[in-house]
Amino acid sequence: MALDTAPLVRDRVPFSSLPLTLAKKVNRIRITPMFVFWTLILFILVIPIVLFLSVAFSPRLMSQGNQWFTFSSFKPVFSGAYGTALMHSLTLGIVASLGATAIALSMAWLVLRTDTPARFLWNGTIFALFLAPSYLIALGWQRLFEQRGVLEIMGLHIEPIRNLLYGPVGIALVLMVKGLPFAYLVIANAMRGLGEEFEQAVRVHGGSRIAAFKIMASLLTPSLFSAMAIVFAEAISDFGVASTLSSIGHFSVATYQLYQGINSIPVNFPVSAATSITLLSLVLLAIFAQNRALRGRSFRTLSGRTRPATLTRLSLFVKASTSSYIVVLLLITLGIPIFGAVSASMLEGLGSLLSHYSINFSNYTRVFHSRFLRNPLIYSTQMSLITATIAVAIATIASKVLTSIKPSKSKKFVDFFLLAAVALPGIVFAIGYIFTYNLRFINDLGLHLYGTSFLLALAYSANALPSTSRSLVGNMGQIQESMMDAARVHGSKPLRAWLDVTMPLIARPLLIAWLLTFSGTLLELPVSELLYPPGSPPVAVGIELSLAGFDYGGGTAIEILSILWALVVVGIAFFIFNRFAPPGWKRLGRLR
Amino acid sequence: MKQVDPYRVTIRGATKRYGALAALDSFDLTIEPGSFTVLLGPSGSGKSTLIRSLAGIERLDEGSIYFGDRQIAGDRFHVAPERRELAMVFQDYALWPHMTASENVAYALKRRDLPASESVRRTNEALDRVGLSTKGANYPFQLSGGEQQRVALARAIVGRPSLLLFDEPLSNLDADLRERLRVEIATLTREIGATACYITHDQSEAFALADNIGVLRSGKLQQIAKPEEIYRNPANRFVASFTGISGSFLGSVESISATTTIVRVGENAITARSSENLQPGSLVDVLIRPSATSMVGDGLNTLPAVVLDVAYRGRGYEHVVECELGVISGVFAPQSVARGSRVHIYIDPENCLAFQSEREVTADLTTPNFAVIK
Repeated sequence: MALDTAPLVRDRVPFSSLPLTLAKKVNRIRITPMFVFWTLILFILVIPIVLFLSVAFSPRLMSQGNQWFTFSSFKPVFSGAYGTALMHSLTLGIVASLGATAIALSMAWLVLRTDTPARFLWNGTIFALFLAPSYLIALGWQRLFEQRGVLEIMGLHIEPIRNLLYGPVGIALVLMVKGLPFAYLVIANAMRGLGEEFEQAVRVHGGSRIAAFKIMASLLTPSLFSAMAIVFAEAISDFGVASTLSSIGHFSVATYQLYQGINSIPVNFPVSAATSITLLSLVLLAIFAQNRALRGRSFRTLSGRTRPATLTRLSLFVKASTSSYIVVLLLITLGIPIFGAVSASMLEGLGSLLSHYSINFSNYTRVFHSRFLRNPLIYSTQMSLITATIAVAIATIASKVLTSIKPSKSKKFVDFFLLAAVALPGIVFAIGYIFTYNLRFINDLGLHLYGTSFLLALAYSANALPSTSRSLVGNMGQIQESMMDAARVHGSKPLRAWLDVTMPLIARPLLIAWLLTFSGTLLELPVSELLYPPGSPPVAVGIELSLAGFDYGGGTAIEILSILWALVVVGIAFFIFNRFAPPGWKRLGRLR
Repeated sequence: MKQVDPYRVTIRGATKRYGALAALDSFDLTIEPGSFTVLLGPSGSGKSTLIRSLAGIERLDEGSIYFGDRQIAGDRFHVAPERRELAMVFQDYALWPHMTASENVAYALKRRDLPASESVRRTNEALDRVGLSTKGANYPFQLSGGEQQRVALARAIVGRPSLLLFDEPLSNLDADLRERLRVEIATLTREIGATACYITHDQSEAFALADNIGVLRSGKLQQIAKPEEIYRNPANRFVASFTGISGSFLGSVESISATTTIVRVGENAITARSSENLQPGSLVDVLIRPSATSMVGDGLNTLPAVVLDVAYRGRGYEHVVECELGVISGVFAPQSVARGSRVHIYIDPENCLAFQSEREVTADLTTPNFAVIK
């Protein structure tokens, strides 16, 4: 019998014009999914970030100054307006992280470990907060408390509260609210894995309730540090609050200072890059501090023997107190912003100098009839569909690389850039894109991308990629490699095996990642603000433009419709999944 | 179930490195068509790498693999797993949780391109064969560990592959279930007539299943032979110790005859067998097979000992005893002997094996506590 010795890589015709070694290398390149993945990672993530940030040290490298290597771009960052803004951001970050972590800890305990009646309201609130960008929360508050706002129209005297809100207190409050879901999910996950055996061990060995609580708190330390680091990073990277409460209250923060810098003429890219590096360093510092603090304290509390904790039965008085606490928290985090936005959207004439206002749906009618109000929603929907699809596709491959059990350089590379990109504020991302895709040599290559929807989609995808990848990593990591091996051994090619085995196993997480990316992109602000093509504003910019034109009613109506539209898409997607996905796909992750 | 056409598996010079570690080191092995070969070795011996290389999940760095006359791996040459026409039972079952038991089994028939009715018939037949005909609609999480592994077994046999690979399939199961499933694996594999390669670290499993046993250590094959041959004539000290001993002593060769070797251990002379070229005065390890010991009166090749522990084993009692040479376990007697009793242990020379010692000794060998072992 003849031996089957066909080579795996087919021979290709060499490029005669290239040097021999290069020709060989080019010959070896195959257009595989991994090749496309690495090309995309390079062009949408690595090149824009690296080129832009390198200008801080080497202005001449990209024709932004005379010096090949200098630290002079960093001087303005720590003095004057930039320095003040940076200090404000740092302070706000610390306050928000401490506040959000403390509230999240109390909520996690109340929801997971007690029978307080209002605990059932909380999970929905967390996901709503996750989806709501910070500028929407801030705008809700603003519509209520601004001059000639909803509350003043209702005849209430709220000036003292307004003065508080339009300053550091209000900004810190919104940042805290926005950080709350991140902190809560981290702490709640840790608490879920903390069985009651630790508490019982303290009690049977003579410890009091307080001693048991101390042990529990120690075991939760890793998650508390993680929560603080995440909220801090989110807070100092935030642009939504910066562009709303911060700009109106004249309490500058670093991200808004960056935005103003990029809108000034001439644009000083080296200083913007230096500010970005400083912001990035602060975030990385938080992550580093978290790692240092956790050294040797990463408690492994979850095992097959973990016994689920039992609920603490609260007395009637404590139940009433804790439920009131939850309700107040709900009002502050969601209730007031929603009431502010919904009431504003139904007030005809809000923002004008009229003395008579009426409550009706005229603002909504205007949105449906005015293309200036309607088109941003349509445009953002299209962009979000494209972005969610691209980002989830790349994120799936990235998470596969990240969860591979074989150590590799590519794994470390992806890990580093995705971590760096998580830490990179959206506004820095957008400036990186403006800078890179306006460079002369990029244009000389025939890549005239700046100001196009194509570039906006790429920037959206790159911006969403880190969080989307991280959201899939956990699920991808749970898939035993032997299941794919089994499919291959029993006759399936790699793609077939992936479609038959991996895809069904992560179908629900993929859908959730897609929906989170879709919703996040639909309402995204910083990248939209800086990269939208002329004449095609996305939703967030459309809202800002309406508000800038004192059409508060129209702006808030688009805001409400966008959120409703995101919820409708989420509803439709889950309906389709639950109705048409094979039964086995839907069973995964459910209880018996 | 219909018999398949098995083929010979030939591995030559197989080498696989993970960084500086060679999981397989110029490994040679031939598995005869239709035979059941068990590869036995401790963790890190390379058995998993070998079976994964046979499956095509790992690529060899060097060497070649042939299935019959067909080369499936060689230098810069690797046939993908799906083109190797084999089936495998995994240690963690590797059942797909989103598919029912029937769907899991039927998946292995996709490459056969059978009519739907034939596919259903064969799936039901395979499930029936492993005693799960009523559980086809169940998802894996609705099945017990043993049932899950049965589904994996049905998935492996349903396509009637010429080669069946088993990657420690019983290691996650409890003792009773392991024994029952072992019998099923042995029966089913021989029923379909496939060549089978099974890896395990459990010597009792290996002896119970195998036509041939290969013993691996540090990526190299130490010996391959029939179970009886491995047990009676292990190639070296490692093979002997990994295939079951109840005690070992250090001694020096006193005299050698054609069939036996007299070894001085402390104040006692023990008669043993050796396949090695030993010389009088050579330092040797004396390994005692569990079947070599029994409790008798004073006599030739006996040692005085004290009973340390006793365990009831159904057909009788197994004792752990301490003699001046050390501890011997698994000493069988039909009646229980109380802890602390003084007894004599007979050591059957046939199952007492002497091997050149690799240990370095720096003290007097003639007293009981003679050796300082480095």
